[in-house]
Parts: sequence; structure tokens; C-alpha cells
Amino acid sequence: MGKSRRKQKTIPPPQLPPDVPEEDIEFSDEDLKFVEENTDYARFVTRIDTGAINRQCSLKPKTVEDKYQEERSKKKAQQEGKGNNEIQVDPVDVLPVKTLDGKLHYRTVLKTSKLADGDTEELEKDAFEDENTLNKSQRRAKAKKSKKEAKKQEKEFPEEIVQEEETPQAAVLAEVKEELSAEETFENKKNKLAELGMQLLSDPEANIKSLKEMLEISKDENTKIVKLGLLSVLAVFKDIIPGYRIRLPTEKELEMKVSKEVKKTRFYESTLLKAYKAYLQKLVVLEKQSVYNQVATRCLCTLLDAVPHFNYRDNLLISVVRNISSPDEVVRRLCCSTIRSLFSNEGKHGGELTVQAVRLIADQVKSQNCQLHPNSIEVFMSIRFDEDIGKRDREDENKKYRKNNKRNKQEEQNQVQENERKKSKREMMSKIRDEVAADYKGVTYEPDAMERRKMQIETLSAVFETYFRILRNTMYSIGESTEADTATNPGAFGSHPLLAPCLDGLAKFTQQLDLDYIGDLMNYLKKLASSSSVSNNSKQKNSKLLTVSERLRCCLVAFKVMRSNLNALNVDLQDFFVQLYNLLLEYRPGRDSGEVLAESLKIMLCDDRHQDMQKTAAFVKRLATFALCFGCAESMSALVTVKNLLQRNVKCRNLLENDAGGGSVSGSIAVSDKYLLMI
Amino acid sequence: MRPLDENETTVVFEKLFKFIGNNLKNLVENPSHEGPDPESGRYCFRLQKNRVYYVSESLVKRATNIARKNLVSLGTCIGKYTHAGSFHLTIMSLNLLAANAKHKVWLKPTSEMSFLYGNHVLKGGLGRITDSIVPGDGVVVFSMTDVPLGFGIAAKSTQDCRKLDPNNIVVLHQADIGEYLRDEDEL
Repeated sequence: MGKSRRKQKTIPPPQLPPDVPEEDIEFSDEDLKFVEENTDYARFVTRIDTGAINRQCSLKPKTVEDKYQEERSKKKAQQEGKGNNEIQVDPVDVLPVKTLDGKLHYRTVLKTSKLADGDTEELEKDAFEDENTLNKSQRRAKAKKSKKEAKKQEKEFPEEIVQEEETPQAAVLAEVKEELSAEETFENKKNKLAELGMQLLSDPEANIKSLKEMLEISKDENTKIVKLGLLSVLAVFKDIIPGYRIRLPTEKELEMKVSKEVKKTRFYESTLLKAYKAYLQKLVVLEKQSVYNQVATRCLCTLLDAVPHFNYRDNLLISVVRNISSPDEVVRRLCCSTIRSLFSNEGKHGGELTVQAVRLIADQVKSQNCQLHPNSIEVFMSIRFDEDIGKRDREDENKKYRKNNKRNKQEEQNQVQENERKKSKREMMSKIRDEVAADYKGVTYEPDAMERRKMQIETLSAVFETYFRILRNTMYSIGESTEADTATNPGAFGSHPLLAPCLDGLAKFTQQLDLDYIGDLMNYLKKLASSSSVSNNSKQKNSKLLTVSERLRCCLVAFKVMRSNLNALNVDLQDFFVQLYNLLLEYRPGRDSGEVLAESLKIMLCDDRHQDMQKTAAFVKRLATFALCFGCAESMSALVTVKNLLQRNVKCRNLLENDAGGGSVSGSIAVSDKYLLMI
Repeated sequence: MRPLDENETTVVFEKLFKFIGNNLKNLVENPSHEGPDPESGRYCFRLQKNRVYYVSESLVKRATNIARKNLVSLGTCIGKYTHAGSFHLTIMSLNLLAANAKHKVWLKPTSEMSFLYGNHVLKGGLGRITDSIVPGDGVVVFSMTDVPLGFGIAAKSTQDCRKLDPNNIVVLHQADIGEYLRDEDEL
């Protein structure tokens, strides 16, 4: 009867003899006699712990891998232990506790749970990616720790016995569960999540079912568990999801006989897809509840960012765009940065998502009647367009025309001369070339030039549609308010929140705008810039009219538009100069930090190539006067502009004469004042 | 010399309106400081030998002392009636028009001479142009240094101008200051 002890690690135990029930065992007479003679020596039999022996016999033999893992986990635990020493732990908890039964109970469970609690609280406040990585390493450490604890420490006898007795006896399971406190269940669930995650990451194909278990865990009631579950599933998905779009096999394909490999892959793919779908649905549902709002949004955004080529990306995009204007700042920031990265990394999704995202945003602007947070339109600034979208169209058409004409003529001329053989050879060559091109196209993932251009044209039209809608909305709201005296309540974001980013975007994208619309655009800008804030009823502050900085921006954008379209036509912008002249009067120092004023002065006055002496003189005089009462930044910009104007306009230097009464130029200034205020 | 009657006044004002638009009232109500009177008089229009003159009232009073056949010209001549009975603005009204013009066009230095010889303005010669020009509007032509060179009728709107070929006509020539040399006898 060879029974192996635990201490013999290297030698696997010999096979046990078959189990014989006690009644069948026959004792020989000699044996009985021997025992009766030596009862003293036989007392050890009563003291044998049959339970322990049974347990040790049923243990699996220790292989080399197990030993290696134990050593590794030991090392890691040691390192963690060193790190853990920095964290404050209550010294009472470090000492072992003796329960009433006389059993020693080491309080390591509480320690790690405290650590975990502290960490999760911190992490939930921290930045986004850190939480994932911290969680991962933390979970990994916990997983190793739990493995080590389960296997090595002999002093953890009572707990181990309890755990070991679970498996054979399901009846005791319920009792044991009640005994474990709530913290321990929390701990257990976290460990379980960590284990499943590790399994999945190490070998996704084999362990794909654990994904479902992870999802089950995240359906718990405890909010922290749900959040941790969602985040860990997110981390797993980020790593597992393949670089291609999964297409489920059709019925025909399912009926076909396939090899084992293919069956395995199909099963893996379909399970992955189902789990992903369930996860997404859960996220969408949870996002509506305020408790999970941030976490769910974070998961959605990370997924969209990481795998924009995968299935269900449309649904992801819809939910992300829906939150692009939420009042919660964290959520909004997340969504905006995701969409911005989508626009800049077009390679990942081949440009289709750009079009969709832009269209969704445009629809949202329309439905909300332009009452959104400005961030939602600022994302448009990250879109990049090819420079020659519009031009290529016309060139292509011309080329096609010319080519066709030439070809027809040539063919008619050469038909008589050509040999039959040469013709067929040429046709074969062209056929081969076409086939090669088609094959190449099928393999590459990039959309070819035509498709890309089409998509960019759609995007562009959606962007401009949004901008023009915002402009028109602003116009209407101004027009209405001058008629009705009742001040309607502005939305949560102010009366014209989207106007500023809209104007910036227009200034950036004017090159792509068709010449037809520039005239309309200039008209609108003129009207917007000249809308004054003088209302009949001076008591009511009509907040719907444009502020000074908005009007300044309109003038600025008009100039930028004109400058970028110089090759088309150089339009005189006298009206905008008049507006600027009046706006300088109304400018109260200390509104924004003066950037808008500085930029408008620079672009309108300093860069202007047309030198009108009267106008320049009038501006010099007004700017010099206001430099005395503006704030620091604005007066600096005013003085720089004055210097610039005086340097360029020789005649204006007469203004610097010191004669009393203004010298030779005073008359002209009076005229220019009148001239600029004429309209 | 006689003042203009109803029809003639309407015709003259219509022509002027094409060029200066609503600033017409400036033209009519301009206070004049000529003459020894302490109060400022106004400007008015008078017809003499098929030519329309823009004169201050004080000058008109004194001009009545001269016999009709001896009176050659008074004030500023702004235009004349043809044999057929239609009214044309002449180059001598340029100062008035330039001061109150609504629609302006600036020429590049290279194409100034071409305009001064009596040619139309091509798009390639355009330096700048005011917005909101409608075909058929009166346009005053300036050089880049803001010297008025003449006037004409717009052939295209500003919007259409953007898309034109550089050799298309933008402004049809009506009068330019080169006529002082070319048509000395007729003025």
C-alpha cells in the first residue's frame, strides 16, 4: 500500500490499488491476534485524519509546470508585497486571529479587499486608460495571489478544508456561502473576472465560452462589480477582436462539409460576435442610467476608437454621436475626442465612418435647432480634405471628352492599316492588364480614388449644410427678435452657441466652397455683422442679438473668405470696414482676451494691399485714441496696427504734425469720418 | 437758359440714379458757399443749348444777366441731349459721380491705358470690384490709386464675374478722361 506524502515532489506516486469497501475486507486470524497483543502501538490508528489522507490522495500529481507557476507566483507576490508595504494597512489586520474553535485565521483576505476597494475608488476618478491598465495588472496580481494562496500555505488549513469540501458535497455549498461575508463575495467575483480574462487573453479560441461567463458576472446587482465587469470585458475585446469584419456563414455554407479547423474558426467567430452584440446592447441600455453613464460611454468610445472596422460600428457611432452634446462634461469630452480621432485616422475605417458621423451630427444640429454645445461642431475642424476634389471632376470630364474624340478619329484612320493579328494581341494585353488591376483592387483595403472622392464630396456637402443651417438660424433669430419685444429664453448653451465654431470652420474650408455660394455667404455675413444691438425698449436686454465679438468674427471670416478666393475675384469690402470702424467704438475692454480684435485688426488693416488714404487716416486716429482706454493686449495690437499703417501710407504721416488745429490733414479726417459713417 | 421741365428732370435723375443711387439727395441738397451771400444756397440744374448744367443758385442769378446767345457755359456740364432726344452723361460729370458712386471698379495699372483709349474693361484688367453689382448698373472706374478714370455700364454681376474668363468684358465703356484729348472739339 504505497501512499505518497506531499513532501515527495518529484516522484509521481505509484498507482493506488482499487478501492475496496470496508465490509468486504477480510481480516486474517493472524492479523487480529497481532493487533490484540499490541494495542498500545496501535493507538495511532485512531488518530489518523482520514479526511486529510483522502484529500492528499485525490490531488493531481505535481508536474513541472505547476512547480514553475508556484515559484513565479511566489516571486510576484513578494514584489507585490514590497509594493503593498507602501500602502497603509491597519497593523491589527496583519496579525493572525484565533477563532473560538482554536483555529488560526490569517486576515489576508481583508487586506487585499481593502487594497482593492481603495484602488477602485481612486481609479474611478482617474483618467480613462489608466483605469484599464491598472485594473489589468491589479487583477493579474490578484489572480496569482489567489492561486498561490490556494495551493501553498499550510496554515490556511481551515479555509482550505472548507473550500475542498465544497466540491464533493454540494449541500454544504449553501452554508458556506452564507458564512462568507459580502466583501469576500466581492473579492471572489473580482478574482473570477481576472481569471477568466487571463484565460481569454492567453488562448482566445479555446476559451471563448468564458466570455459568456464574464458577461454573466457583469449582470450582478453590485454597481462596482458591474462597472469592473464592463471594463474588463472591454479590455478583453480590445485585444481579441480580429482585424477583419466577421461575416456569419450563410445557410448554404453551413450545409457544406468543412474541415475541423474551419468549423472551429466558425464557432469561435460566431460566439465572439454573439457575445459582442450582447455586450453592446447592454452598454446601450446602461448608458441611459445615470449611475453607469460615464463608464458605459467610456466603453463605447474606446471600442469605437480601437475597432472601427468591425461589425456593429454603425450602432456604436450612433450612440457616441448622441452624446456629443451632453451637459456632462466628461462624457462630452470623451465623445468629442473619439470622433476627432476617427476623423484624423481615416485609414482604420476607410473613410466611410467619416461620412456617417458628419451626417449624424448634421441631423442632430437640425433636430435640436442649433442649440448644442460648441464642442460638437468644433470636431469638424479635424476633418481633412484632399485639395483637388472639385477640380478633378471637371478635368476628368474634359479629358474623357478629348480622349473619346481622339480615339474615334484615330480608330477611323487606322482601321484600314491595322493588321488583324496586331489588333488581337493588343486586345489580349489590355484584357490581362484589366484583370490584374481588378485582382489588385480586390485585395487592397483602401478605397480607390473615385470612391474616396465621392465620400469626401458627401462629407463636404454635409459639413457645409450644417454651417449654412447655423447661419440661417442665427439670421432668423435676429430677425424675429427685432419684431417681438418679449425676450425668449435662450437655450442652455446661450443664444448662438454654434456661431463661433461655425465661422471658424467656414474660414478653414472656404477653399472647398463653390464659387456660386460665396456671394450668398458674403451677403449673410454682411447682414450678420451689421445687426446692431440697439433695441427700442432699452430696459429689456435682448440677448438674441449678436455680441460685439461675434460681429467682429463675421468681419474676420469675410476677409478670410475673400483672401482665399483671390484668384476668382478681388471684392471690395467697404462695408466690413465701416462695421469695424463702428465696432471699435462699442468694444468694451476685458471681454475675451483680445484675440479676436487683434486678429481682425491684423487681417483687415495690416494685410490689406489697397491703400485708401482717407480710410487709413480715420482708422489711425481712432485706434490711437482707443489705445488709451483698451486693456493691455488690445492696446498693444492697436498700436502695432497704427505703426504698420503709418509705415505704409506715406501721406498719413502728416497726421503726426504737431500744429495746433491738426495741421494740413484735419480737414480730410473730418471728411473721412463722415465718409465711413455714411452707410 | 431755362430750368428743366418735368420730363427732362426725370430723365436726368434716372441716369444719375444708375450711378449714384440714393446719394442723389446729397447732390441736390449740397450746400454751396459760392457767392457773396451769407446763407448757403443750393445747386440746381439748368438747360442751355441742349446741354444740362449743374450750377449753384447764386451763380444762376448772376448768369441771368447774360444774353442767351452770348452764354457759353456755366457751372459744370453734366450731359447733353442728342438730336434724337435722348440724354447722355458726358465725361465732365465725372467729379460729381466719383464722389457719390455706389458701384466702383478699380483697374490694374497695366490695363489703365487700354481703358483710356476707349476700350471696354476686361476681367483680366480688374483689380477690385465692389459687391452687389447687377448687370446694367452704372459703374465708376478708378485706378488703383483712387484716381477716377471714367465710367461705364456693368455687363455682368459680381457673382458672375468670379467665373469669367480673363478676356470677357466686365464693364462697357461710356466715358473716360482720355476724351479730353481725343474729342476736344465736341465737348
